[in-house]
Amino acid sequence: MKPRDIQLLQEAALAEARQAATIEALEAVRVRYLGRRGLLPEVMQGLKDLPPTERPEAGRYANDLKEALTALIQERKQVLANRTVAGQTGFDVSRPGAWRGYGRRHPISRIIEEVTDIFFRMGFTVADGPDIETEYHNFDALNTPADHPSRDIQDTFWLEDGSLLRTQTSPVQIRVMESRRPPIRIIAPGRCYRRDTVDATHSANFHQIEGLYVDRAVSLAQLKGDLTYFARHLMGPDVRVRFRPHYFPFTEPSLEYDFSCHVCGGKGCRVCKQSGWIEISGAGMVNPKVLRQVGYDPETVTGYAFGMGVERIAMIKFGIEDIRLLYDNDIRFLEQFGA
Amino acid sequence: MKVPLSWLKEYVDVPVSAAELADRLTFSGLEVEGIAHVGVDYTGVVVAEVLAVERHPQADRLVVCRVHNGREERRVVCGATNFGPGDRVPLAEPGAILANGMKIKSAVIRGERSDGMLCAEDELGLGDRHDGILVLPRDVQPGTPFADIAGPQETVLEIEVTPNRPDCLSMIGVAREVAALLGGSLRWPEIPLEERGGPIGEKTRVDVEDPEGCPRYTARLLEGATVGPAPRWMRQRLTWAGVRPINNIVDVTNYVMLECGQPLHAFDLDCLAERRIVVRRARAAERLMTLDGREHKLAPEMLVISDAAHPVAVAGIMGGESSGITESTQNVLLESACFSASDIRRTAKRMGLSSESSYRFERGVDIGGIEWASRRAASLMAACSGGILARGVIDVFRKPPVPRRVRMRFARARQLLGVELPNEEMTAIFERLQLPVVERDNEQCVVQAPTFRVDLEQEADLIEEVARVHGLDAVPAADPQARLVTDADDTVIRRRQVCRERLRGLGLTEIVNYSFISDRLADLISVGPAEKRVRLPNPLTADHALLRDSLIPQVVETLGRNRARQADRAALFEMGRAFFLNEEGRPTEEERLCVGLMGPIGSSDPIRRAAPSPVEMFLWIKGLLAAVTDALGIGVPGAWPYKADGLRLEPADDLFFEPGFGARVWLGDKPCGRLGLVAGRVREEWRLADPVSVMELLTDMVSQRVFDIPVGRTPSVYPAVDRDVAMVVNQTVTHEAVLRVIQRAAPPELADVRLFDVFEHERLGPGRKSMAYSMTYRSREKTLTDEAVNRLHEAIKKVLRDELAAEIRES
Ligand SMILES: [Zn+2]
Repeated sequence: MKPRDIQLLQEAALAEARQAATIEALEAVRVRYLGRRGLLPEVMQGLKDLPPTERPEAGRYANDLKEALTALIQERKQVLANRTVAGQTGFDVSRPGAWRGYGRRHPISRIIEEVTDIFFRMGFTVADGPDIETEYHNFDALNTPADHPSRDIQDTFWLEDGSLLRTQTSPVQIRVMESRRPPIRIIAPGRCYRRDTVDATHSANFHQIEGLYVDRAVSLAQLKGDLTYFARHLMGPDVRVRFRPHYFPFTEPSLEYDFSCHVCGGKGCRVCKQSGWIEISGAGMVNPKVLRQVGYDPETVTGYAFGMGVERIAMIKFGIEDIRLLYDNDIRFLEQFGA
Repeated sequence: MKVPLSWLKEYVDVPVSAAELADRLTFSGLEVEGIAHVGVDYTGVVVAEVLAVERHPQADRLVVCRVHNGREERRVVCGATNFGPGDRVPLAEPGAILANGMKIKSAVIRGERSDGMLCAEDELGLGDRHDGILVLPRDVQPGTPFADIAGPQETVLEIEVTPNRPDCLSMIGVAREVAALLGGSLRWPEIPLEERGGPIGEKTRVDVEDPEGCPRYTARLLEGATVGPAPRWMRQRLTWAGVRPINNIVDVTNYVMLECGQPLHAFDLDCLAERRIVVRRARAAERLMTLDGREHKLAPEMLVISDAAHPVAVAGIMGGESSGITESTQNVLLESACFSASDIRRTAKRMGLSSESSYRFERGVDIGGIEWASRRAASLMAACSGGILARGVIDVFRKPPVPRRVRMRFARARQLLGVELPNEEMTAIFERLQLPVVERDNEQCVVQAPTFRVDLEQEADLIEEVARVHGLDAVPAADPQARLVTDADDTVIRRRQVCRERLRGLGLTEIVNYSFISDRLADLISVGPAEKRVRLPNPLTADHALLRDSLIPQVVETLGRNRARQADRAALFEMGRAFFLNEEGRPTEEERLCVGLMGPIGSSDPIRRAAPSPVEMFLWIKGLLAAVTDALGIGVPGAWPYKADGLRLEPADDLFFEPGFGARVWLGDKPCGRLGLVAGRVREEWRLADPVSVMELLTDMVSQRVFDIPVGRTPSVYPAVDRDVAMVVNQTVTHEAVLRVIQRAAPPELADVRLFDVFEHERLGPGRKSMAYSMTYRSREKTLTDEAVNRLHEAIKKVLRDELAAEIRES
């Protein structure tokens, strides 16, 4: 047999060994090739008939064949033996395992964590404040005095002693600025309360996240850049941010910001009501009156502030149709949100 | 604010589509929330010529008309008689559907065939008059579709006007914005004013006793007016703008208010005592019946318009019924005034009254535009009612405000916005907005705020004008920046986050409940004292009457709700705030974490279905406590070495716990929570038949060591020796008591103490139980000999005998 033919023989032998599905079939392969009257001894015999120049090479190939096939048969034998044992003892490896699973994140927490994580990367730290706020922190210090019409927008839960349930997370801005000097770079998630009648999109108890950056020379363009970075990490790499002028007493200029629709990319779909954009929330440059109120000098520092509704983002991001599901705590619902 | 496009176009050219206009307005700060196409579908309504009108043979009140619709003659039965042969009238032919939904069919009415209907105004959706058929000009060709003469359908923009822009609560205000955005110019209406009557000063008088509350008051008089319907075009516009037409005098006040933003009021002069006006604060016990038919008790701080004797209007909010315009009114006093915004707001709130007028006054009206509005309304009233205007105007305006001048530095604007905008472009924006630039150099400009822009006070306000007109979309996005603030500390909040993650890691699923609970739930699972609960004075519903004083009630409720939906097991946790009155009686709040277990959730057998026994369930929640505290680095209750300042449990007698299965958790001498089985009486509420356990901990206390730095000691290399001890003790001896005793005598070699068996048996005697402990001895210095270990172990047995009266069982 020529050296080349011995190589081909090896390939055929190894393939047969791999395909043998039972110990018996494997043994048959062994006998056929390696047995006393097998093909390999035959090849060995034939070596002497080859021209002397081809003999050493053919001999080497024949040895290779023997070693490779022996090793493979050995390995396959064990595998087939294990398989037989498993089959015979009847242990069902598909049975459920016995280790407690991981708990699920509530979608509200999940959004708060995702949002704060993105801002951590930009050097923000978390801040919080009380749910029971003073009128001063929730309204007055935010340039919303008692007879200000913009208080109408927020129907407030007042408590007997004149304190209130905060209607927004913005009072955290005031608390942080009162306690520290600039620079300020905080992200403040928290619960807020408004006397809204509960329906598919309103809840008397909801969550907001507030961001505030006060430093030398903070600009609206910086706000746009930072919010764009945020939007892309929250919703997807191609999301764009759009500003629309608006009014909030504590920012000037004030604006509302939208994200381009992460579902259709801005072409228009059911999620964005065909507009290509999804309204997120409000933002703006901190009103100099607010800075002055906390003892900062608006000539030396400026700042941006932004807010967002956690439930709203959860509903948009996860396609949740009714805000009440978020407070219903049905474990079948919660199981969908991963760990 | 509803803006009919055709009305808007009276003041400004709109060379773009409604959709584009809406877009431009929205992106400059006047958000257009919707574009409505109103007006009526006039399909099937044509102009017909009346040929003959005959009496209906069977009915006195009906007539039978022969009309021609341009193609053929039709017979129509009709109830009105305000027309005759030759008149042109709207004919709704069979098949037409009218504005009020009425379907026109051929019918036989009292024995006479009727092929259609002649229409009154209200039937065509043009107003609410129903006192006759609408008679059209005679030059209209019969057969003309009615839609052609009714004009095209109207497009109405629904604009959300933010509280800072009361000037845009008017057509002219919106037109001014449109002009600035689209580059047109504003067209003011002409005001033909014929004052043919005598001087007003001889006919009435205005005294303003409170100039703070009423900085300006103007009055004009219209005499000999005939009150009736306003012209159709005016009623039509009012309807489109969402205001119901009433009569010509009242409609003019509303029309001019919508036109220029100045609220107006018309009084019946003859109903004013001494035919004069006094602006003053109300007096004690004064009352007023307002136009909406409600009687109000007035308080002395309320600003009222009064005649010589009694209040006749709540200033700026609503007029009184007694002096209102009626069909018999002949002489009208027209008020155009300005009232203090905060006064109006307080009074409106206090009286629970609001109106289009108070809405505008609360936000601020143009004190400079008051006289214009008065003239405009007077002119329209005279034209609509046939009355004669008295000569002149009474204008009580003691202290005209000093014009506000606001400075803006160009560089500051560029810096704040991050936009490279040339100076000229900024001043051009002001000029387009009709904000006069009274001074300017290379660094800055000064704008004189017009009286209609009550919102412009400071530099930032001008910068906002630049930003919104230049376009916020044109603001570039700067590269996002990372910036570290080195003195910010958020450790406490991050510790809570670690808690959250550990709880999830232990297999607990997170839930979020409202902060509100009902009295009923709070009473059923009464965790804190009832008198310390924080009650909402104005809850939305009884279910939300209280702020929760514990997370436990809702966690149990959530388990119950899931059970009702056939969940057979659940392991839940919630983190949030609980609220209560502190020692000074002030509402305060505290971070808590709460866990609830239901079903065979603690079993390691994944396919187990049998419900847990109470002991099993208690041990699961206790085990979970240990896992949580261990994960948070504050140790494990009942673990060795025993620490006096560590965690321990004491029986608790809360009524919502199953008797004997409730415990307080202490960390040293501070209470830090509680855990136990929920009482059967409570579980019944949700038909929870099997044991349910809960645990509530103070988050900030249990997470205080999360970021502590551990010490990495090298473990002992010498072998350990185990010795057991089994003893019989009184039932009352707790595991913790045993540890406490051992701790007192423990040598350093005692590396671990573990309880491995507890049982009760009658042969142990009543009130006795057996406890078996395994002790591990190990030295850090040497291999312990048997002898040495025995000595140490005997010493421990001795303290157990001495201090706990333990009977050691030698095996
Ligand atoms: Zn879309």
